[in-house]
Amino acid sequence: MRLLALASRNLKETYRDPVALGFLLGFPLVFMMLFGAIFSGEETPNYAIGVIDEDNTPMSQAFVDEALAQVPVLEVSAYDDTATALKDLKFGDLKAYIVIPPGFGQQVNSNWQGDKADIVLNITYDESDLQVSEQIITTINAATRAFARIEIPVTIDAEPIHIETEIDYMDFIGPGIIVFGILIIIPTAARTMVSDKEKGMLARLLTTPTRPIDFILGYSVGLVLLAAAQIIIIMVATWLFGLNMTGNPFLAFFVFLLTSMCCIGIGMVVASLTKTENQAEPLCWLFAMPLAALSGCWFSIELMPSYLRTFANVFPFAHTVEASRAILIRGVGLEAISYDFFFLVGWAVAIFVIGVILFRRSMRS
Amino acid sequence: MTPQGAKQARAGDDFAIQTFNLTRKFNSLVAVDGIDLNIKRGELFALLGPNGAGKTTTINMLCCLLKPTSGTAQVLGYDILKQPFKIKETIGVSPQETVISEHLNPRENLALIGKIHGIDSTELKIKAQELLVIMGLESRAKDQVRKFSGGMKRRLNVAMALIHNPRVLFLDEPSLGLDPQARRAVWEYIIKLKKEMTILLTTHYMDEADFLADRIAIIDEGKIVALGTSAKLKKGIVEKQTMVIQAQSFTQKVINEMRSRYEEVEVTEEDRMVISDKKLVFQEIVDLLHNSGTIVSSASMKEPTLDDVFLHITGKELRE
Repeated sequence: MRLLALASRNLKETYRDPVALGFLLGFPLVFMMLFGAIFSGEETPNYAIGVIDEDNTPMSQAFVDEALAQVPVLEVSAYDDTATALKDLKFGDLKAYIVIPPGFGQQVNSNWQGDKADIVLNITYDESDLQVSEQIITTINAATRAFARIEIPVTIDAEPIHIETEIDYMDFIGPGIIVFGILIIIPTAARTMVSDKEKGMLARLLTTPTRPIDFILGYSVGLVLLAAAQIIIIMVATWLFGLNMTGNPFLAFFVFLLTSMCCIGIGMVVASLTKTENQAEPLCWLFAMPLAALSGCWFSIELMPSYLRTFANVFPFAHTVEASRAILIRGVGLEAISYDFFFLVGWAVAIFVIGVILFRRSMRS
Repeated sequence: MTPQGAKQARAGDDFAIQTFNLTRKFNSLVAVDGIDLNIKRGELFALLGPNGAGKTTTINMLCCLLKPTSGTAQVLGYDILKQPFKIKETIGVSPQETVISEHLNPRENLALIGKIHGIDSTELKIKAQELLVIMGLESRAKDQVRKFSGGMKRRLNVAMALIHNPRVLFLDEPSLGLDPQARRAVWEYIIKLKKEMTILLTTHYMDEADFLADRIAIIDEGKIVALGTSAKLKKGIVEKQTMVIQAQSFTQKVINEMRSRYEEVEVTEEDRMVISDKKLVFQEIVDLLHNSGTIVSSASMKEPTLDDVFLHITGKELRE
């Protein structure tokens, strides 16, 4: 009864607040529209890239002919040697060229058979246009990962290879936008709790028989419901903007929901450490923005230096991006993302426990 | 139980609130300094004092929001340190700051507190309706309270303390920021509640304490400096009577005459005379002035106020 009364109050306080709601839904939707307009329009950019196939196996050929050739933004040409490709790159005829090293086919095969093997591709690109080179690398990366991890029979000669033909920028960025939207739960959660502390609502309710755990659950239930609604809205919006949901959207939803619980926990920690909204808000963004950048929302974390990648993997968001891309784009099931999934479960439990302990302590003081 | 213990228990039963050397320090500042209070059941008791005197700190300890540094208190026989949740079930609190959920309507705000106290929904609807009518909020029952004026929010703040029919009500500066009309409405409602519950009210408005309270404790710098009914407190400080006379003008001869008869005579603004002495006879003074040819336009005996009581005891104004 108490829990429901508090949860319902917290939910109404947020969804009836146009500013909070605008942030929660409007912000990621604006990003989506922006990216949708940039990358889903008719004027999709075409980048010329060269390929030097040093592996020269049926697998590497399939990769060039079916994976790379069918990525809409890439115009692929085969080269015999790097010197010619480099010359064309310098003349501006190419934006990048890829060298498929010997052993590539072997590595992909190992991946298909369940052994995690590094896929090595050498990409030389024109770094003068940062945005374009970033997009090319990101796209090649996504296409390669889709190709290497796809769950198909092992013998390529026996079955025609089905490649994700629609790996475009929206597919890459879509899950990232959803994760970015979820990150906004951090300031939303912190603001809800700190505002009650700052304005005396917490003190007023502490003169009633409400127990600290009622407050914590009241906040959490309200925020989880809000997060669930937000995730559904943003998932539908990304789908409308052209995200191809190959895998199970319910599994992806569950991964996102676990992430939102991590965000509520972080928000609770921030709310415990601060006394006013003015303190909590910037602290939340201090968390949220670097975490968004490190999560692989905007660009692949594979491109980051290894120490940053290690750091990014400590937080749940890189795992969410990875798992949700695997589910939505590559169509994998729970077994394939079990590490990321259980990492998220562990993180959500741990941060909630820390948040509850700290928030209880802050209520007592 | 020993006869002595039974006697103490019976004495305790008569009181809704008792404090025992209740003390609260914030670092070196002693906000509440060894207060001993016995507030009877059904009594409306006012804590009167200037801002920072320790009124809210006292209430916060009695509501189990703040732990005392030393001493303790009981509310309806429950100890604030040992049985806080028993106390929280029985009290209603209207805090000094207006604390409401801005995006909820008044009915939802009332329902929130009602549901937390486990009030059944039918009873909740009836009580909420009654309070909305009394507080003049019925016509705005469906509007989010963020659109309300300060006075309306304040009235809702008080109503939220009453939704669950508490046995002890704490009203911390209930009429702060209210216009005179709304203030009067809140006062009248508080008077109606007097017989139904014990009320501890804090205020720095002496007229509020004077009008509402059965007994008043004057608090200053964390200590109770005077306690009693309003009449008793005022009577206790009346050492001199004061009369204020308004006339067209006072001649020097009249002023000298008055000064020879009475202890203190002060003429302000040429047409206003204030006379003080241990005993003043109203008619005698009016006749004296009349016989000396002074045209008196008004004359009155000045009654002492609680402000005078405060000034007399502490040597400073209540609103300093």
